[in-house]
Amino acid sequence: MRHISLIALVVAGSLSAAPLAAKPLKIGIIESLSGAQTSTGRMFANGVHYGIDRINAAGGVNGEPVEVVEYDNAGGPTEAADKFRQAQADGINIIIQGASSAIAGQLTEDVRKHNIRNPGNEMMYINVGAEAMELTGEKCHFYHFRYTSTAPMRVNALISTMKEQGTLGTRVYSINQNYSWGQDMQAATAADTAMGDYEVVGEVLHDVNKIQDFAPFVAKIKAANPDTVITGNWSNDLLLLMKAAGDAGLKVRFATAFLDQPGNIANAGETALGHYIANAYDNSAADGSFADDYKAAEGHLPTFVEPQAAFAVGALQEALAKVSSEGGDVNVTKIAEALEDTTYESPVGPISVRKEDHQTIRPVVVSKVVKNAKYPADDTDMGFQMVKVVPGEEAIYPVQSSCEMKRPG
Amino acid sequence: MEFYLISTLNGVIYGLLLFMVSAGLTLIFGMMGVLNFAHASFYMLGAYVAYAVSSAAGFWVGLLVAPAFVGIVGMLVERFLLRRVHAFGHAHELLLTFGLALIVEEAVKLVFGDFPVNYQMADTLRFAAFTVYGTDYPFYRVFMGIVAIVMFVALWLLLSRTRIGIVVRAAERLPQMAEALGHNIPVVFTSVFGAGAALAGLAGAVAGAFYPTNPNMALELGVIVFVVVVVGGLGSLQGSLLASLLIGLFSSFAVGIDWSAADLLALVGLGDWARTMGGLMTMQVSSISATIPFALMLLVLLVRPAGLMGERG
Repeated sequence: MRHISLIALVVAGSLSAAPLAAKPLKIGIIESLSGAQTSTGRMFANGVHYGIDRINAAGGVNGEPVEVVEYDNAGGPTEAADKFRQAQADGINIIIQGASSAIAGQLTEDVRKHNIRNPGNEMMYINVGAEAMELTGEKCHFYHFRYTSTAPMRVNALISTMKEQGTLGTRVYSINQNYSWGQDMQAATAADTAMGDYEVVGEVLHDVNKIQDFAPFVAKIKAANPDTVITGNWSNDLLLLMKAAGDAGLKVRFATAFLDQPGNIANAGETALGHYIANAYDNSAADGSFADDYKAAEGHLPTFVEPQAAFAVGALQEALAKVSSEGGDVNVTKIAEALEDTTYESPVGPISVRKEDHQTIRPVVVSKVVKNAKYPADDTDMGFQMVKVVPGEEAIYPVQSSCEMKRPG
Repeated sequence: MEFYLISTLNGVIYGLLLFMVSAGLTLIFGMMGVLNFAHASFYMLGAYVAYAVSSAAGFWVGLLVAPAFVGIVGMLVERFLLRRVHAFGHAHELLLTFGLALIVEEAVKLVFGDFPVNYQMADTLRFAAFTVYGTDYPFYRVFMGIVAIVMFVALWLLLSRTRIGIVVRAAERLPQMAEALGHNIPVVFTSVFGAGAALAGLAGAVAGAFYPTNPNMALELGVIVFVVVVVGGLGSLQGSLLASLLIGLFSSFAVGIDWSAADLLALVGLGDWARTMGGLMTMQVSSISATIPFALMLLVLLVRPAGLMGERG
């Protein structure tokens, strides 16, 4: 009898306690954590974890620590869709992904459909790295936020900075991977000819991460005799291209988007010197406080895509601070509305959300590879040195007409 | 002329590299009938071992240790894994090696990290062999070609001109008869598998210093190596050499060709129509150059299912 009353007491206690404690905010990282894109997916996850640790260190949301769950999408949209359903079942409020535009295309559609079917229980997708234009074009919707730059922003920044520096030349070659991102880069390069006063002397699209031998492509580039090669290639496609160009003694300047991927500088060696990159952040462009703090928390300096992921969660933290005081259950729509109005001061400048398509207006850092850099890359004596921080207003492009965003309510 | 010369040169060297990687696979399939899905993993393992050794003891030591180490791994795999499933047929061997490939990939990531490692060739090899039309031709590419040719000649002589070759071929054709004559067949199989793995390890040690050594290198070459073996004729060494060279040359020349289907149709006056169609019609050959080996494979399978130099039946 005593036992029963004890159980009753416990049950009653837990029942009455339930409404008092708010539901914790749940964030799901659906990232490429195995397979070919592990190197990128892991970096995004690192940056997100850093940001969430800071939210929790500051007291969490509604007095509860934010829960974070990692889902491995194995690098493909099919597996990602599967993991999205699992996240749905786990009651995830916000999903984060960045390593792939193909996966982003899948997830953003999944989120949109989920929100149509579950009014009042919305989910939101913070895209920290997928740059395909369609994500803020025909696929745009209210619950998708893109916390990264896109092809036109990177190319605009590269062209204007290299023009100022007098290193662009008048003959530009465009070589890219044959899918949405590469095609966007090629289109952006072709669109800037008037602004940069150059001529595109050749463009080529090639298969993604299937080519071992770039020597034939280098022969083709050499035949066109360019001053600068603009490429959105990442991972092996960039490294092999640069190595093949170096081996052939080709004297061109590369303007890139992903040269800072770990391993690139060490593998390319001296060939990399003088090449440019446009990205979200470089340690040499800031005062070092973020770099030091990140190193203290994660054990290494922020590199590659880690900073942009950390900034996205930083913006989310500020948005959460605006809504969490109201208590009660997690209301994703309110968080999304607050995020729209949040301007996050990143170490290289403000990052704000454009309400029409949820693309962030953000500074683009253009840097180049130098010897004896302040922040050496890959244990070499080379590293990136900031050339210019292009302010967000200068780098941004007009809203795509294909975006028809339906706002809640 | 410049285009043809440079494309031929690049194509032949790339073809020889493909041969270097697929030689071991051909050997293992030809002599044991095992389709080894983990072959490209042995290639990757070779590169990583060579990297680890070379950073401590120099490039040339790495080049020697890598094939030996990978060969021993291969022998262990054959002795303790493959032999157990051999009785259940080819499907089981295939599944086992496929699983092995996945395990090796993730294990390499655990040990060496997700990013390309800094495996560099010896500085004595880092010079331009010659200059063609103002383009330096790196000596290391020539070196890779030489290694592949030496590999081919040595294997071919070993199999066709020595007693070891006779025993190995007998073990494949009539295992019970060879056993009755006093040859230890299980040891022959273990050695063949080890030798095939060692060849892949050597290829990895050589190629890994030129192409970056990264956890995806097995994935990148894994499929194309199978294409080589299928096109050449399963188990035929000469066939793989021919197929490798063909694929190398096709991919190399395709890059330089800016034609599309629309240009072809323009010859009969349908160019404008094709261009308005877009899609496949306007896709340039150069942008699908990596697909050409697969088209070649399809063609060969349709016309000569046994492969270019494979034996029927």
